[in-house]
Amino acid sequence: MHNKDDLDLLGSNWLIYMLAKSSNTPEGRLLSLFDILNDWLKAPNMVEHCHIGNTAHSLLLNYCITQAKALGAENPEILAEHIVLIAQNAAQQNITHPNNNSLTHAKKAANALILAQTQPAHIPKNNRISTKPITYSIAATLVLAICATWILSSHKQGNQLTPLAKSESNTTHTAINQENQHLTAIEATQMYAKYEQMRQGSCQFPEALLIPDKDKSIYLENVVGGKLPANLKDLAVANAYLEKVKCNFTPMLMAASK
Amino acid sequence: MTGLREKIITTAGNLFQTQGINSTGVDTIVAVAGTTKMTLYKYFGSKESLILEVLKKGHQDFQSWLNDKLSSNTKQPSEKLQKLFDYIEEWVTAPEFNGVGFIKASAEFPKEDSPVHQLSSQQSQQFRQYIHHLATDANIKDAEGLALQLSLIFEGAAQAEQMKRGTNAIKYAKTAAKILIDDALTQ
Repeated sequence: MHNKDDLDLLGSNWLIYMLAKSSNTPEGRLLSLFDILNDWLKAPNMVEHCHIGNTAHSLLLNYCITQAKALGAENPEILAEHIVLIAQNAAQQNITHPNNNSLTHAKKAANALILAQTQPAHIPKNNRISTKPITYSIAATLVLAICATWILSSHKQGNQLTPLAKSESNTTHTAINQENQHLTAIEATQMYAKYEQMRQGSCQFPEALLIPDKDKSIYLENVVGGKLPANLKDLAVANAYLEKVKCNFTPMLMAASK
Repeated sequence: MTGLREKIITTAGNLFQTQGINSTGVDTIVAVAGTTKMTLYKYFGSKESLILEVLKKGHQDFQSWLNDKLSSNTKQPSEKLQKLFDYIEEWVTAPEFNGVGFIKASAEFPKEDSPVHQLSSQQSQQFRQYIHHLATDANIKDAEGLALQLSLIFEGAAQAEQMKRGTNAIKYAKTAAKILIDDALTQ
């Protein structure tokens, strides 16, 4: 199917170049591997001229080890090796079965592996935030309802910042002990699920200008930017703003009702 | 007579696992099994058919071991899914673990038209379907997606462990699997 002159995608310098500029966090650069491969394999004639080799990809592996070290993995070599193997297997599956989204699932798997190496090993079950099964429709209605209440209440009081001030007072007294606490794996996955869900709809974000300066960077990075908050304090702030994002999931609802 | 056939399969299986499939000659197999080339070819016809039989037996043994473990130690469907990687870890960290048959075979026979390659991808798919069943029984919404995620994690960890023993790859795989399963159960 391929000859020796074909480009081995995983062994190419171009891939490293793309990864390096893909994100400003090591997690982001590791996970971009799956998006880049997905894009490349969708490109016309790509599969005819390139292949995914079975050989060791030392260039990519070393790059991933550097990223894994930068994100503070317990065992960077294993994390990098596992991620490269998953990317290789998923890319090969993508070529044989282009329809089963193997690279998207591989990205989720890799994200879980990153969390497994960066979160405290023991995750008590009752630590979980209580998000019961929510369908997209319920989520969409809920977000709309919250937005409506927010808009109404701000109109009533004639002050756009009131709800934010309220959330501030909720967070400040717990802020001291939350500031040093990292997110548990469950909280992190839930945040990723929220980012993923926002990507599925067309969302309107509150104007950054209306947000107090001290929350602005959290809002821009952890809500709009889709980057995981660094600690529980930031998570609480980000969650308060996430509730104000207005998303329209209509096309997805139509797809789900088929 | 079937005893001898079994013996050849077991012997070949051990040699393939420890020395590699391609580097194990038929001469070695018959010498270790205490039989003759003629007998081997009478039962299997070719080395390739013997490889296929060895792969089938290995996969059946693994699946029934896993199935027994899961059905005798768990009750709830979701519990089966959560325990899956505990048993995989037990298997992979056992001193006699020499790699997953279908993963090794597929690496040694990379050409897609090879019957050995085809059987190994079939077995990889069967294992994914098995996880798919467990996930469906546990009422997971995207059972197929979860099965794909878990099988990618499992195969990657097994490959890492094959290359170098005692890497803990399977330990992290187990934690990652738990994160994905817990998340899928709350969706």
